[in-house]
Amino acid sequence: MEVLKINSDDKEFPDGIPHTLTDLLEEIGIKQETVVAEIDGKIIDRKNFAKTQLASNQSIELVRFVGGG
Amino acid sequence: MDKLIIADREFNSRLLIGTGKFASCELMAKAIVKSDTEIITVALRRVDIENENDDMLSAIDRSKYLLLPNTSGARNAEEAIRLAKLARAATQTNWLKLEVTPDPYYLLPDPVETLKAAKILVKDDFIVMPYINADPILAKKLEDSGTATVMPLASPIGSNQGIKTRAALEIIIEQANVPVIVDAGLGLPSHAADAMEMGADAVLVNTAIATASNPAEMAIAFKLAVEAGRKAYIFGLSTVSKRAIPSSPLTGFLRD
Repeated sequence: MEVLKINSDDKEFPDGIPHTLTDLLEEIGIKQETVVAEIDGKIIDRKNFAKTQLASNQSIELVRFVGGG
Repeated sequence: MDKLIIADREFNSRLLIGTGKFASCELMAKAIVKSDTEIITVALRRVDIENENDDMLSAIDRSKYLLLPNTSGARNAEEAIRLAKLARAATQTNWLKLEVTPDPYYLLPDPVETLKAAKILVKDDFIVMPYINADPILAKKLEDSGTATVMPLASPIGSNQGIKTRAALEIIIEQANVPVIVDAGLGLPSHAADAMEMGADAVLVNTAIATASNPAEMAIAFKLAVEAGRKAYIFGLSTVSKRAIPSSPLTGFLRD
């Protein structure tokens, strides 16, 4: 089973992991324009989401703005 | 009102608003509009991929406000720097409220880690606005390291206690060559006015507005208080005396 670690939790992809970051966000239902992503500690510019290929066992951090003081 | 200038950018409002704790995005957006603020703070958190929530920023007209991301949640310089870089990727600007608060009970900022992070972030071209305890020496060291402001606390975050750090704040204000923004603990408009009368350049308010029964009206109350305090500071505060000093003439009384 192919796995991506997303925000510290293992997520399994029985049909194979999505090809790109954009594909992943679509698959898990998150609007691309609201998030920032880090793959294995490296920040990915939003404009590069579509061309960022994913590989099994990568650690992906997805963050966004929330209310705060 | 005279303009507030931070890192060569001019602002008409001296009230910064935090966006936490509002009961809804709509209430937050309305309070922001009514406050006439130009700077709003936001935090960065992990997306809950199981429970997709609406994007809070969709309620705000982002073109009208400077989005000031904070590094809340950071317990040391390293975590703050990571959050800062994520925030920069998200906002496409370098503005940052630096916050390093290892103690979850009082949320007091760590001076050593804050200074360490500030030095690194300034070198990396961030416009750093550090949240600090009211420590005049630390404020000076941060200013010397190139931070755009200092943001000393009035009392612990969200405590609504008002100004408990008066003597130290007065020294910070007297010595600072960068804007001093009093942050945290301002629970009433009178607290905000108090800070501005002392000569603070601006204040940041979140809890007192967000948790009011009517946040938009409370935002107006804070806006007026900040304006009143600033005017009083600029246009001459009267002196304090132990004895009465008559306002009416002591001559011409209707008596023998």
